[in-house]
Amino acid sequence: MSSPKSLRLAAAIILSAIFLIALAAGFVAPYSYAKQFRDAPLATPSGAHLFGTDALGRDEFSRLLYGSRVSLLLAPTAALLSTCIAGVLGGVAGFRGGWWGKAILASADLLMALPVLFVLIALRAALPLDVAPFISTMATFLILSLLGWPSSLRVVWAAARNIRNSDFLLLARSNGSSPTRIILRQVLPNLRPVLAAQFWVTIPVFILAEATLSMLGLGVMEPLPSWGNLMRGLENSSVLHANPWTIAPLVLLIIVVSCFQFILPAREDLS
Amino acid sequence: MKKALRMFFRKAVWLAFVTLVSGLLGATLVRFAPGYGVDERELDPRLSQASVEALRSQHQQSANLLSYYGKYLAAAARGDLGTSESTRRPISELIHERFPFTARTVFLAMVCAWSLALGLAILGQIFRGWVFEVSSTLLSGFLLALPSTVIALLFVYFRAPVFLAIACVTFPKLFRFIHNLFVQAYAQPHVLAARARGIGPIRIFLRHVLSFATPPLFALAGISLSLAFGAAIPIEALTDSPGIGQLAWYAAINRDLPLVVNLTLLVTLVTVAGNSLADYSGRLTARAS
Repeated sequence: MSSPKSLRLAAAIILSAIFLIALAAGFVAPYSYAKQFRDAPLATPSGAHLFGTDALGRDEFSRLLYGSRVSLLLAPTAALLSTCIAGVLGGVAGFRGGWWGKAILASADLLMALPVLFVLIALRAALPLDVAPFISTMATFLILSLLGWPSSLRVVWAAARNIRNSDFLLLARSNGSSPTRIILRQVLPNLRPVLAAQFWVTIPVFILAEATLSMLGLGVMEPLPSWGNLMRGLENSSVLHANPWTIAPLVLLIIVVSCFQFILPAREDLS
Repeated sequence: MKKALRMFFRKAVWLAFVTLVSGLLGATLVRFAPGYGVDERELDPRLSQASVEALRSQHQQSANLLSYYGKYLAAAARGDLGTSESTRRPISELIHERFPFTARTVFLAMVCAWSLALGLAILGQIFRGWVFEVSSTLLSGFLLALPSTVIALLFVYFRAPVFLAIACVTFPKLFRFIHNLFVQAYAQPHVLAARARGIGPIRIFLRHVLSFATPPLFALAGISLSLAFGAAIPIEALTDSPGIGQLAWYAAINRDLPLVVNLTLLVTLVTVAGNSLADYSGRLTARAS
């Protein structure tokens, strides 16, 4: 189910535009995400408030922009950390093999056997819930990255094992290349496509996981906005009827996740 | 027969190992979570110094992780899973009340999701063409892009049964996997040869495609159980359904770690057992065919 090149290009352009706007939230947003207009709670869209205001009188448009920044910057960061963990552990398991490899693969299997959302909730519950928004955000994404590596590890391990048995590595060894040089010049460039694919696959997964956790009140804490806690507004159907723009974070999330699905490298491109 | 028994034994050992290690991880989580050992009762001015000391020594006894875990395992073997800190009720009683609801919901959801995913994937192979390909990709892609919490809210608005919401979360992942599996199966040389010989599509599907796809489908059945249980948390929480998903969410919100860890252990046990059983059946089927 690979998408045509033009579709992938369009998805990449849309995604880049959303990323750029989210990055520039501080300049584009008319107000701070926490600024309250106490005389205008639940205001309908107007010139002063493009998407209206929430129940606490905060500008929905500004919160959406800042929320996009949180979700779109931290999910890739967490995905990068998760891919790095998978890269290091998968590389070690694939190259060294033996007991090290077995132990790493067994721990990945063990983690994959656990129901992810239950473990995520258990870990999140172990930390205090009434912490500063910044800490809750970091904790959420750190937990995501610490739990997200096992599925990538299997792929990296398989690729690393193939490279270990390859002719060019044998040639490099017979030429007397040092292990560091082999890793830097031979192994890493060959693992890069696999790692890149795993990185891209993980980002939408983390965006969705954050949205789920925050909607349940276990992710990013108020007043810091994220797509997840902005979507908590959807729980109140009367607010949704009064101000249809409440649905904007969900629409944006669907667009972003769909774009990621389109730009993910096709399997045949990786082989 | 001997090999099948050995495989079964290996799966049983893996199940026991996963349960024990998850239990240890859970106990570690409870033991080292911030706030462990702090008892609000110590602040009660009506308690004498001796009572406060007694409370502290009670906590001190469970300070060692291994002894704490050992005591937990011994009690669990007797059916005593401890007491929930938020509801002050025995955890086994809470699980006994709520597990049947979730088990029934997850079962119905899996039946729905599998029927839909298998049905659509089979239709996709019969009516090959871009219309079906694009529409099924769009449908599954759209559902994959929705967080399970939003699907739950949609079902609350439309007052639809909870199991359908869980099925909606599970279906797109199943469909994509099964569809790719069938595409792969149809590309096998022996299937191409059968088609070239003019054998009918139903016969090809039943005799050649299904035999290729059955072992991975069994493995997928195990994974889908884990997916469905995972989806039960947000969906039961937001649809106010009396299952263990809602209980897990309630426990997390109240930082009721003994409850959340016991629930995680229970779901781990169920999903690992389901996975092992599915894997075992898949391998037996592969061997038989």
